Amino acid sequence: MSKIIGAVEIGTSKAKALIGEVAENGVLNVVGMASRPNEGMRKGEIVDFRKAAAAVHSALEDAEKMSGTTVDEVYLAQTGSHLKGNMLRGSASVASSDNRVDVSDLQRAAEEAKRRKPDEGRTYVHHIRTPILLDGRIVQDPVGMFGSKVDLGYWSIDGDDHAIKQALHVISNYSLEVKDLILSSIASSTMMAGPDLRRAGTLVIDMGAGVTDFALYRQGFVACTGVIPVGGDHVTGDLSMGLRVLEPYAEKLKIEHGKAIADPIDEGEDIWIIGNKTIGDRSIPRKAITDVIHVRIAELFEIMSKELEGLLDPDELKGGILLTGGGSLLPGVEQIATKILGFTARRASFPSGIDPELAQPENATVLGLLHYGLEDHGLPGRIKEEVETGFLGKFRKMVGLGAQV
Amino acid sequence: MSQDNLFPQETNFSPENEIPGIRAKIIGIGGAGLSLIDGLRFDNFQSVEHLAVDVDSRALADSLAGEKLSFGRRHTRGMGTGGEHTLARKAIEEEKDVIRKKLDGVDLVFLLAGLGGGTGGGAAPVIARLAREAGALVFAFTPLPFSWEKSRHSMAEECLADLRKFANAVIPLPNDSLLQMGGADATALECFAEAGRNVSKGISAICSLVFRRGMIDVDFVHLRKAFNRRAGRTLFGYGEGEGENAIRQAVRELLLCPMLHLPDVSKAADALLILITGGTGMGMAALQQVSSEIRDEFKAGEHIVFGAHVDENMGDRVQITVLGATDLEAGTPTADVAPAAREVIDEVLPKSKVAHSSKLKREIAKSTHKTVSVEPRSKKKDDLDQNTFEFMEAENQRGIFGDLPSRNIYAGEDLDVPAYLRRGVKIAI
Repeated sequence: MSKIIGAVEIGTSKAKALIGEVAENGVLNVVGMASRPNEGMRKGEIVDFRKAAAAVHSALEDAEKMSGTTVDEVYLAQTGSHLKGNMLRGSASVASSDNRVDVSDLQRAAEEAKRRKPDEGRTYVHHIRTPILLDGRIVQDPVGMFGSKVDLGYWSIDGDDHAIKQALHVISNYSLEVKDLILSSIASSTMMAGPDLRRAGTLVIDMGAGVTDFALYRQGFVACTGVIPVGGDHVTGDLSMGLRVLEPYAEKLKIEHGKAIADPIDEGEDIWIIGNKTIGDRSIPRKAITDVIHVRIAELFEIMSKELEGLLDPDELKGGILLTGGGSLLPGVEQIATKILGFTARRASFPSGIDPELAQPENATVLGLLHYGLEDHGLPGRIKEEVETGFLGKFRKMVGLGAQV
Repeated sequence: MSQDNLFPQETNFSPENEIPGIRAKIIGIGGAGLSLIDGLRFDNFQSVEHLAVDVDSRALADSLAGEKLSFGRRHTRGMGTGGEHTLARKAIEEEKDVIRKKLDGVDLVFLLAGLGGGTGGGAAPVIARLAREAGALVFAFTPLPFSWEKSRHSMAEECLADLRKFANAVIPLPNDSLLQMGGADATALECFAEAGRNVSKGISAICSLVFRRGMIDVDFVHLRKAFNRRAGRTLFGYGEGEGENAIRQAVRELLLCPMLHLPDVSKAADALLILITGGTGMGMAALQQVSSEIRDEFKAGEHIVFGAHVDENMGDRVQITVLGATDLEAGTPTADVAPAAREVIDEVLPKSKVAHSSKLKREIAKSTHKTVSVEPRSKKKDDLDQNTFEFMEAENQRGIFGDLPSRNIYAGEDLDVPAYLRRGVKIAI
């Protein structure tokens, strides 16, 4: 029997809804997709609940119409500068007399790791498991192996209660359940960075309208994630102020003529702001546009470099840097990222088999949500001895995530 | 841009028709204030006095101002404050009586003070308060340090908030954005000179409005009525045109004036002063057209002071200066103003005006859609919550993110403020 799963991303510029059908053989088909401009959100956080909800609801409605089905539960992407990541660690001695690692050992280690409660007013959004160590060695799946001690860690992201509840309410107002909250950066890197890249070590940067999400993978696991509250809207705002044009024109200039790095070809070229040379139209040097954008984008990567200080190790980042999200379409971003972060950056490409219409960088997160969900659905039968529900179900998903894809 | 035309024809009014009875004083405080005041040229205004105030007696000795006041000798032995604004504040409080005397009978006070320094930051709010108590209308032009000078910057913001409590209009001149002034390859010094020139033009515009007879006249009472509230955000801009379409060109330049396009500058004005100076050929119809255009641009309320002056020396040139203020705190009690100043406020601020609502909020709502709809203004809306809300918004005028309640601080910098401004990158348009 096939399953229907949904994914929702409440993005700063657009709300996106995606509906996928998972066939019995585990193949995912996207059967519905819609996006709506979202005016209720700034910098990754909901500022106008009703507007945000309206955008999400109409996107969901359209996606359902398109697919001819209805969804009951969705995966919801979470971002925003309120999110903070922490590494939680736990360990357990192997209990059984024959020194074989049992699921219960892992469970105890996980419980210990997660014992630390988030601060007042904050909730965990996402626990991302980092490698399991069996007597100090990294192992994919220690169950059944010999050893005396297992260590495991979680990169745990907690966020502001209020912000998370608002996002959940947007979905529940549409009579939907949120199956899981997934960090935006994890969703987009699930999509854009394959297992090989993750093993080699890679930094995935999702440049959105409101915020820039990043996730650093080392040896196949998440080592760090973060949200920088600077996005494409900041570029537009800077242009609007720097060139003294209205915001819609600034947005248009950014999309049509924006470059993040000066190009000798553009030397001396002038751009008309409105374009039809009517009264009130005026021209500005292309260099001014590039200059404004360059400073902002360079600063963004400088901040990221500071945030990742000490984590960017050439031996651990052989996969380089992948750029995705709408902002990655800006010509020249990859050069700046390469220069500032010191590793080769390139635009991420979608794996084959994705509908070219969907395979746009701005869709990376929402598609990633669905694929993250797919991994979840693909699990049954993989590790038969485990129980399916509750904490273990979730936990096993984590184990499964590292192992397959 | 050569140095010799730094202050072109500022003195283009003949002194004969000066209106007597009103006295104005320009007070430069601290290092930045002194250099600004020295840059001004108002030889022709007989009723405008210059006063230089500093703790640094050597700097004071070099100043060109007609009147000088050194203070704080006991604290600093005639040297600078070394950036300690609390020291300057303490010292100036001790000189209260001397300053009161200097402010006696003055109707209009222009304060020029760099708020990043100790003297300017500490003394300016105190002098503004004393001036207000003496019944004067106070306009302050205040250079602010670069945002990368982090500790100075945050200190300046503190002083700015303090100054806003007392001055009728505070026009901040952030160094970050002054770098955007002038031509494409203007040096930093030229940019500052240009900014100083604009300040000078602004003060000159207000002075000529008050002291000179013009084509469309406004007297001091009008000006006072328009600005007699503690101001929230302000706007200040200057434009100049020449030739056949001088007035249109001036409007265009005005709207592009970098000082109007700063994160902290208000986009709407409750009180707006428009002053147009032009040659004899300036037509009435064009004036009217331009004034209504500017009025729309800044969504000006009922407090508009419009003045037009004809000056034969202008030839075919036209200058436009605008100064606007939003009276956001109108609804809040003015408890921190001394009783005398409160009388001044109450006198011109009848009770019905207390809940004067600002257009700022509407402006923000509009900024995302570019249609400029003319909504009926509900001025009498007496809603305290709304006032607090507006104030909150006004404190965060940061370009397109100005309406968000929280600042986006990373390592001491507000990331919502355009990066090029913070990094001092000059954008030539």
